This record gives sequence, C-alpha cells and structure tokens, in this order.
Amino acid sequence: MGTLEKIEAIRNGELSATENVELALERIRKLNGKLNAFLEINSKAMEEAGEVDRMLKAGEAGKLAGLTIAVKSNINVKGLRATCASKTLEDYVCPYDAEVITRIRREGGIIIGMTNMDEFACGSSGETSAFGPTDNPAAPGYIPGGSSSGSAAAVASAMCDLALGTDTGGSIRNPASHCGVIGVKPTYGLVPRQGLIDLGMSLDQIGPISPDVPGSVLLLEVIAGKNQAEGMMMDVERVSYGELNGGVKGMRIGVSPQFSNLTDPRITGVIEKKVEFLKDLGAEIVEIRLPHIEQALSAYYLIVSVEFFSATRKYDGRKYGKRIESVCGEEVLRRIMLGSYISRREYRGRYYQRALQVRTLIRKELSLALKQVDAIVGPTVPKLPHKLGTRLTPLEMYAYDYLTIPANLAGTCAGVVKAGEVNGIPVGIQVQGKPLGEEKILRVMRALEVESSKSG
Amino acid sequence: MTSKKLYCNCPTNYAEVPPNTNVCPICTGMPGAKPMMPNEGAIDAAVEISLMLGCEVVKNKPIYIQRKHYDYPDLPSGYQRTSLPIAMNGVLEGVGIREVHIEEDPGQYDPVSGTVDFNRSGVPLVEIVTEPGMRSPEEARNFLRTLTRVLEYTRKVRPEAGGAMRADVNVSLEGGGRVEVKNINSIKGAYRALKFEMQRQAERIRRGEVVTRETRAYLESQMITVPMRTKEFEEDYRYIPDPDIFPIIITEEMVERIKKQMVEPPHLREKRLARQYGISPQAARVITSERELADLFERVAAEVQPQLAADWFRTKLKKVLNYVNLKARDVRFTPTQLIRLLKLVETRKIPREHGELALRELVKEPDDPERILERLGLSPPKPEELDSVVNTVIREHKQAVCEYLEGKSEVLNFLTGKVVAASRRRADPREALAILRKKLEEIREKGI
Repeated sequence: MGTLEKIEAIRNGELSATENVELALERIRKLNGKLNAFLEINSKAMEEAGEVDRMLKAGEAGKLAGLTIAVKSNINVKGLRATCASKTLEDYVCPYDAEVITRIRREGGIIIGMTNMDEFACGSSGETSAFGPTDNPAAPGYIPGGSSSGSAAAVASAMCDLALGTDTGGSIRNPASHCGVIGVKPTYGLVPRQGLIDLGMSLDQIGPISPDVPGSVLLLEVIAGKNQAEGMMMDVERVSYGELNGGVKGMRIGVSPQFSNLTDPRITGVIEKKVEFLKDLGAEIVEIRLPHIEQALSAYYLIVSVEFFSATRKYDGRKYGKRIESVCGEEVLRRIMLGSYISRREYRGRYYQRALQVRTLIRKELSLALKQVDAIVGPTVPKLPHKLGTRLTPLEMYAYDYLTIPANLAGTCAGVVKAGEVNGIPVGIQVQGKPLGEEKILRVMRALEVESSKSG
Repeated sequence: MTSKKLYCNCPTNYAEVPPNTNVCPICTGMPGAKPMMPNEGAIDAAVEISLMLGCEVVKNKPIYIQRKHYDYPDLPSGYQRTSLPIAMNGVLEGVGIREVHIEEDPGQYDPVSGTVDFNRSGVPLVEIVTEPGMRSPEEARNFLRTLTRVLEYTRKVRPEAGGAMRADVNVSLEGGGRVEVKNINSIKGAYRALKFEMQRQAERIRRGEVVTRETRAYLESQMITVPMRTKEFEEDYRYIPDPDIFPIIITEEMVERIKKQMVEPPHLREKRLARQYGISPQAARVITSERELADLFERVAAEVQPQLAADWFRTKLKKVLNYVNLKARDVRFTPTQLIRLLKLVETRKIPREHGELALRELVKEPDDPERILERLGLSPPKPEELDSVVNTVIREHKQAVCEYLEGKSEVLNFLTGKVVAASRRRADPREALAILRKKLEEIREKGI
C-alpha cells in the first residue's frame, strides 16, 4: 500500500490511527532487535493515535493523520531523547519540540520513535553510533549508509510510514540509496532547522525519507516554509507541489561525465539505464560540465569540521553531564580536532578561508550547470556499501560523499529514488535541482518511480 | 536597553526576576536551538549611539555576526555572538572612538555557589572601543562621565542600573607592556582600578622589573587588580561568522530615519546652550547633565531671562533635585509652574530667598507658585495689610520720620527696609517705598 492509499484508508475508516500505530509497533518489536534502527520508542504513541482517531471522527484530520513518523535522533522531540547517538547526550531528554515536529503534530502525524544514526551525524555508514550500527534491511549484512541510517532502515523495513532525516553532506540521500527508499534533501533554508542539533549549520537541512515519492512530497509540504522564530530561512511561506505525474517530456536533464570518473562502473551502468528511460519518456539529455566537483569533498570536510567544532562547544560537561571530547567516538573527535586546528588564528587563512573560496566556486559551477537544465541526474553514492564491520580509513569513508556534497555546499536541492540493484544491493539515482527547484526534481523522481514499478 | 533579548523574545529585565526565569532554549543554547533575527531595536540603538559619538556608520555592507569561542560557565553555547564594527572613527570630547559593535551578554556566574543565572544571557550590549589617548585616571573618569551622559541621552541604556555599563580599561606606561583590566562595573571602579594599576606598574618599573602584557581582573571589594588565569586571555577565540545569522546591513534610509529621531548629543548641546543663551560654561555643563533638565531649561529660557534661569538651574534647582534624590525626568511639576515662579523672582515680586523656599516646595509638593507661597505664608501682602504695616513703621520710627520731613530723603531707604522686614520680607521694596513716600508727603502737608 502506497502512502496516499494508506492515508485514504485511514480517512475512510478502513484503518484507524491506533491500528496503524499498533502495526508499526509490532514491526518494530519483531525487527528492531536485528536492525537496530530505533533507539527509543515513543511510549505515548498509542495515546496520541487515540487522539488522532477522535479528531478523524470529528472530521478534523490533518494531512498526515494517523501516519507513523520516525525521527532521527538529532531532532528535538519533547519528552524523548535526542541523543545524536552519542554518549554525550545519552540522557538529554528534549525540553521542546523542533519546529518540524510541531508542524507534523499539527497535521496529525504520530512520532513513533527516535532513530539510530551516525554519532552527531558524523559518518556515512551508520556505524559510528554509540549504540551500535544499524543493519541494512534491503541488503542484510551491509551498511545502510548514513548518517540517517536508522530513518532509512525504518522506512525500508516498514517499521514506520515516513521518517525525518537530516542531510549535511548526503546523510539523507546516501542511506536512501543503500536502502532502496526515497529521500529528499531540500533547498537550504526551505525547512526550519529550529530544534535540529547542529553538525554544519550552513549545510544542514531536515528532509523526508519515504517508501514512495508521494510520501516525501507529503511530508515536505508539511515541514517546509518560513519559520518566524528563525533567521536563516528562504522567504517561502508554504510549498505545494501539485501535479507530480506530469512526466518529463520536454524537460532538459543534465548528465556529467565527471560522475562516471568517480563512480563504480557497475553503479554507472544502473544509472545509465535510467537516463535512457528518461530519454525514452521524452526528456532531452544534455551534457553539463562540473570540472571541480572532486574538490568539493575536501572543502566540505574543512567547513563542516569548523562549524561542528563551534557547535559542540556547549557540550562542555557542565549542562549535559559529559564533556564531548571525553566520551565521543573517534570520527566525532577527529572532526572536532580538525575544526579546532584549522580555525586557529594562524591557520584559518590557509585552510578555512580557502575552503570557503572553493565552496563559492562549486556554488557558481553548479548554478551555471543548473541554468542550462531543469535537473541533473547521476549516481548518489559512487561505490557500493561495505559489509558491516569492515574497517575503512577516513578517506575511504569520506569518498562515499563525493557526489552528494556539492548540493549541500551550493544550498541546492536533491532527491534520490531507487534505480536498480547491483548484486542485490539497491542503487539510488540522484536528481539535483536549482534552489527551490523541488517541484521539478520530484516530478523526475516520480517518473522514475512509476517507470520502475512498471518494469518490475 | 531593549525590552527583548538580542536573538530571542525573552524579556531583558534580568535583575528584577528570580534566577533563570527569563530564559528559553535559544538564550540558554539548548541543543538544536537557533537564533532569531537580531533584534532591530538593538541595532537601531547601536546606530544611534554611534551617530551621537560622531562615528561613521558602516552602510550598505554586510556586517557579520561572529562567534567568539571561549569556555566559561556563564556562556551556554561556548561562544559569544559579537558583530563586526557597525561604526568607526568617532570622537567624543577629544577622545577617539575606534569602533562600536553589538554583542550578547553572557549569563551571570557565581563562583562561590557554583551557580549560573541565565536571565542576562542574550541581552544586547553595545561595545564602544576608544583609541588610546587618555593620559590619566582623571581623564578617563571624565571621559566615562561624558560617555555616560551621551548614553543616557539616547534613553536606550540605563547606565545607572547596576552592571548595565561595564568597562575594560587598558594601562600602558612607558617601558612596560599594555595591561588590560576587566570586571569593572562603575566609573568609580574604573578610576580606582586605573589608579591602582598605574601605581603597581610604576612600582615594578622603578624596581627594574618587567611589566608583561596581560589581562587582569579588578576586585571591587578590595580595590585591587589581580592576574586572570592565563588560559582565559591567551586563548584564541577562533572567530567564525555565525552560520545561523544573516549579516546585518545598515541602509542609508535606516541611518536617516535614526538621525531624524535622534536628539542633539549632550556635548554639543552644552556648547550650544552657552553660546545661544550667553550663559556660563559651568551652568551649561550642569544644565546638560540630564537631557530632561536641559529640555526644561530651554522651555524656561524662552520666557525668563536666560542668565537668571541658568543661575537658578545650576545653583538651586539641581541642588534641590540632588537633595531629594530625583532625576529631572521624574519631577512632577510642570514647566509652566517653574516659569511662573522664576518670573516672580525676575520681576522681584518675591525676594530670592522666598523663591528658593518655594522652589523646594515645588519639587516636593508641586502646585502653582502663588499657592505654594500662600501655603508657606509668603504671599506678597494685600494692599490693606501693606498699608497697616507702613503705618506701624511710621508710628514706631518717629525719629526717622522727622529726619525725612527735615529733608533727609535717604532715610526713606531705611524705612523701606523696616517695612520689608515687618512684612516678613514679603513686601516688594519698590512698592513699599512708593507707599511710604506717599504717606510721608501726606504727613508733610497735613501734619500728624
């Protein structure tokens, strides 16, 4: 059952919100022991479902009425723990709701629980959680990708209807790709970050992860739009993506040879087939140039480390019990130390300022490319996921992010939809768009999704 | 002082409420909290202060909010947000103003109990950096007083409220390093800290010791300075532009709007008053010590002779206000009441001393001056009363009356004095003299 069918069923009374929550809790009980996708279950979910059922009867159902939403553990949900999968915030019970949570509740969505993730979203495999790695439901034994590992795994295993992830350098798109689900990183500033625990403030965005494109559209429509209590936002009141089934006929779709240079040929093969599909559907395929895309990676890690260093100064051991440097995992510590080092007075010119210059370059390059086309398609992750527990060097780990990082540096939007499989492991195709170009990329994603379901 | 904090809507009256009640996730830096757009009122205030100090405002250019990182219990996020200069190159009475910028205040940490009160955290703060140029603690004290007056004139800050104005001072003697002293909460404190620090450094230099560049803290209770822990000042603040806040942009229109609403800066007003009304510099200084006092003066000087008004403001009104511990903005009498009182003095309807008594009463229990004089029993005598006083005086000073009748007209002054005294100084001497003369002439004609 697709997301829209489920909403319909709940509206019609074929399925109650309470039954839907029971269903999710049942799946979680059955599967979470093995998958480790959830860190905490909302003990009030049934109660909240009862309330939604009452509202449904009264005809006051919101857009998400009765749907179960999993939330990444770096988003504040009042009364639950936003641990960021870290010992540092192990006992941090959120005193307030993030703005996106307020919006979800207003539309009748039920927060089912808090999902596992890479510690403080520092990681691309889901393995750096202080509470153990998450398994990949679509390819058991392989990493689910990260850092929104638990959210993607929860959606892929139907432990929830929809999920919130966050994306700083690919953290929604990467696990969506590995787990074979839909994920969208919205334009920077489209979705409020109030209540999102920082990794890199100039890059972070909250976005939806869902089993189908309409699910992501629905959740994005609920969470997107200006929040008065927040400075860094686009001047967009609300979004509505209207007709998604319009197809891609006449759309100009960009592809870049630079993608395949960086990517496993088996993945490229899967992606090229989808490009052919788009062509068959009437899209015009245009070759674009992204000559500096490879430089994005190192600039990204410098910027994110400096911002992360700044963001973590509050975990000084005074208010949250444990000083971050004393209890965190090695990837978090590596970034804090790197950030601390390159923001020093004597080095900032050499590293941090340079990184910002590269960022400007990438932004220009990407926006120039996006001027020529409606969307850019390509691989999401350049390599296949490794087996859980395999030891990678940091640089090997960072290499997962080559193709997702540019959208964060440029503040543009991008989404992922499953394109196929290599050896039974899902491979997602990434669709990138202009700032506030969500509608177009969602249309392309929907076309790809419909095409895949037809071809089985 | 704005009513809301710089990056959230919490109130700023931190001293008036129980600890940690004016707080929210934003100003306590809870995980995930993001700042709101900077409070426009705070930016306006900083621009206004800058203009009053004759600074060039940084216009049409992004002014970044920086994060200044350091580790202290009063700092909930581990960094303080501080803007790049919003204005530069000003001058106040000969002291150069290097720059003006906006900061957020940290919370208040009590090292004895180990507790932190975050009520103050996030309250907007304007930092004014001067050029080096003051050569003595006295000069610094004068400058701080002048500066305080400017800040009071804007009504945007309350320097008299405890801790609302703080100073970091720097002392550098020839042959030694520059020493910064922090933790100063008053002008008196700044003066004492400077005095102490100069003596301490001079003593070291005299003994042939080195004065190293360092940061010290002023201990108000002991009136001394002590070294701060080395870590606190040697730290690299690792400034970065705050990614959560758009840079501030001050437009030409903003500056023009603020200029229109702005009042004349006190140091300029002081000079103007002296020039325009021909009053002494001392009087102009006292009159401009408070904006409301100067406003009152200008209203009075439009109707009463300015030099007389200035004299009364400087030597009498200010004294009475000080005595009852009242600010000019808190007086309850109306300008008209004061004008009428001073007119009585100006036209010599009442003697100065009575005017002074009435002034005191005017401040304490405002009323029309005539009624106050009556309340005090100081109203000028009615014609019948004056008449009878004159008669009594003539009766009791036969000798003098004879002398007058014999042609010693100067005796008239003596008798007038007696009449004024007998009326308990309420009688107008000129009026008393006229009546006396008339009566004495009648006597001359008719005989007694």
